[in-house]
Amino acid sequence: MRYLILGNGVAGTTAALTLRAADLEAEITMVSAESDYFFSRTALMYAFMDRMSLRDLEPYERRVFAKQKIRLVRDTVVDLDATRRALSLASGQTLAYDRLLLAVGSLGARPDWPGLESVREGVSHFVTLADLDRCEHLARATREAVVVGGGLIGVELVECLVFHRKKVTFLVRSPWYWPGALAREESEIVSSHIRRHGVDLHGSEEVAGVQSDPGGRIRVVRTKSGAEFPCQMLGIAIGVVPAVAWLQQVKTPPRMGRGILVSPAFETSLENVWAAGDCAEFQHDGRPTVEQLWYSAKRQGELAARAMLGNPIHYAPPIFFNSAKFFEIEYTSAGAVGEPPAGARTFFFPFPGREASARIVEQAGAVVGLNMLGSRWDHALFERWIAERRGLSYVVEHLAEAQFDVEFGRVDLAPLRSYYREWSGRG
Amino acid sequence: MVRQGKAAWLAHDLTHRGVTAWLLTGLLVAFYLLLYSTEVFARAARAIGLDSRWTLYGILYSLAILAGGVYVLRKYRHNRYQVVRTAVVMFVQVVFAFLVPEILKFFHQPEYYFSYFWPLKLDDFVPGTIFRLPLAYVLYSFIGSLLLVPLLGTLVGKRWYCSWVCGCGGLANTAGDPLRHLTSKSSAAWKFEKVSIHVVLAICLLLTALLFLAWGWGARAPELARFTHAFETAYAFLVVAMLSGVVGAGLYPVGGTRIWCRNFCPMAALLGLVQKAGRFRIAVKRNMCISCGLCSKYCEMGIDVRAYAQANSSFTRAACVGCGLCAEVCPRGVLRLENARSRPAPEPALVRISTV
Repeated sequence: MRYLILGNGVAGTTAALTLRAADLEAEITMVSAESDYFFSRTALMYAFMDRMSLRDLEPYERRVFAKQKIRLVRDTVVDLDATRRALSLASGQTLAYDRLLLAVGSLGARPDWPGLESVREGVSHFVTLADLDRCEHLARATREAVVVGGGLIGVELVECLVFHRKKVTFLVRSPWYWPGALAREESEIVSSHIRRHGVDLHGSEEVAGVQSDPGGRIRVVRTKSGAEFPCQMLGIAIGVVPAVAWLQQVKTPPRMGRGILVSPAFETSLENVWAAGDCAEFQHDGRPTVEQLWYSAKRQGELAARAMLGNPIHYAPPIFFNSAKFFEIEYTSAGAVGEPPAGARTFFFPFPGREASARIVEQAGAVVGLNMLGSRWDHALFERWIAERRGLSYVVEHLAEAQFDVEFGRVDLAPLRSYYREWSGRG
Repeated sequence: MVRQGKAAWLAHDLTHRGVTAWLLTGLLVAFYLLLYSTEVFARAARAIGLDSRWTLYGILYSLAILAGGVYVLRKYRHNRYQVVRTAVVMFVQVVFAFLVPEILKFFHQPEYYFSYFWPLKLDDFVPGTIFRLPLAYVLYSFIGSLLLVPLLGTLVGKRWYCSWVCGCGGLANTAGDPLRHLTSKSSAAWKFEKVSIHVVLAICLLLTALLFLAWGWGARAPELARFTHAFETAYAFLVVAMLSGVVGAGLYPVGGTRIWCRNFCPMAALLGLVQKAGRFRIAVKRNMCISCGLCSKYCEMGIDVRAYAQANSSFTRAACVGCGLCAEVCPRGVLRLENARSRPAPEPALVRISTV
């Protein structure tokens, strides 16, 4: 059996290792245009901040791939012919397969701001190794930088630029930072923390256009409120999109929406072709869904491999969880919290004297989500409470079991409990 | 990307095996060679009114731990485990590894180091020396080495000694902090360590046995006494002076901070075996690791922590000194040092896979 995996990110690599664990004989090949070896995309910022070398970002020793007999090909795929079961590469080589996995990931979303098309230098995303290269190159000649986008990649890029002592303006379209994950109260804690690091953070600012100098270098970012921000570097972090545009040009394109459409077993519309990770789009609760997190890509990569091996797989995303770090503030989340469902009631407690808070959302007598800022929690217990439909009182009472802070450093839950008694007494 | 500016370049160069790091290594190695094999520091000590080179060395060593400790306390001030641990290690160094022995000497008492135990320090355990001391010291040494060390190792792991008490660990985790990431994480280095540290332990146990035998037989076995004496001298030179001093501390700027502790220390070897059977472990939060590798990068014992974290497996490694830096640098709070073996494991993953 010849397995071919397109993409050596976390979905592709997890799939390759899963295939190998189950099938010792198969030929397994991974193709990547981006890098020779699997690296941790989530750690790009630590390379930018000189805390790691590029080699340090590789989660497995290089010898693992040779030992597991996983062939690595560094090339760009230019064509897919599913009827002949073959990929054509830019080098002219052709790779034949019996089963193909598309795990091509995503790329930074490109906005259509007026003026952006004529900028030739000074603009970057922060998603790929090429983006990292570009950012490092740009940072050397930058005094003032503007970063646009109110998500996690945005704040990570901001942190990197602050580390390199750039004057950073951070523009967020929504009224507060990261409304997809944080409510206003948490966002205020995070925003003032970001500002304390010298960042000029603006909410409710939408880019109206950009200007470049005659040489094509970025010069100014204008917003719809009329403000102008001079800069020598513009970081665009308004989200990521499945990296599937190239698939429209191939001989046999799979059916696509935002991403490559897949069944609950990760099958694409093409025979013997599966897709997993950021690039896969599936139906969930009747809605087209694309999961673009490290965690989901890893999970999907493993399950898609099991599907390719012939196991019956019916994927539905488990209870959502995520984590992040905003400069020094850590964040753990589980369940539905970004937009609390209708009829939900929310218990929110900011820990006194700390940049920390707890939010527990309850709907119809069952906790549906938790959002924790500034201290460490075992989200696995949160997931269990949500799955078991535990009530708010139960969760508050058992909260200490999920604490994951360092020894001697546990957040004191007594004030939270006494506030809860007062709060629930109010009804 | 290295920060711009000359100061940033120097800081990077010193901590990333640059030219200045090699220069500093040369200086440190020269310092230890002069200290162990010449009279230079003995004369320097007398010149400033100190009784021996070891008093001078003790002052320098304590100052390095104090200055480095202040730096570390500031750097990790948000982490209570680091704050408490660093404060304790600074206190133990200054009081038990420097002031107390000096005070004892001042009152013409036997110089005794309460923070060192067998098998790290042979002198204060073997009969030839310990039985010259008052009974209280003998009891302290035997109970400490044979009971306290393994008992605490079982309950809280080897960290109580290697990261909270020991001077070698003290220097590594204070002044050595900016160099901690240099330790090799390769599986080849792990293979080497597993052999080297247990070889040194075996040699140390053999030497201890010989010292007891030679003492027991006394004048009846002059050959054994001579052989044991030669063995002891060789051990003091090769293991103590060369491996713990010249190699262990001298190579900090190019090899990382725990070369001695990881590869050679007999105490660490013994406590590592105890730890494997004890309660200490590093708990890993399920599915939350992003494989960034900061934990592995900043592990001074060369443990590839990420390999465990990304595989969702809580673990106990004999080498781990429980410094807690993996948990500190983890940007997703995935790791936690703990002493309980019986933490209830959360339910298996909630991925819904039907087998229709």
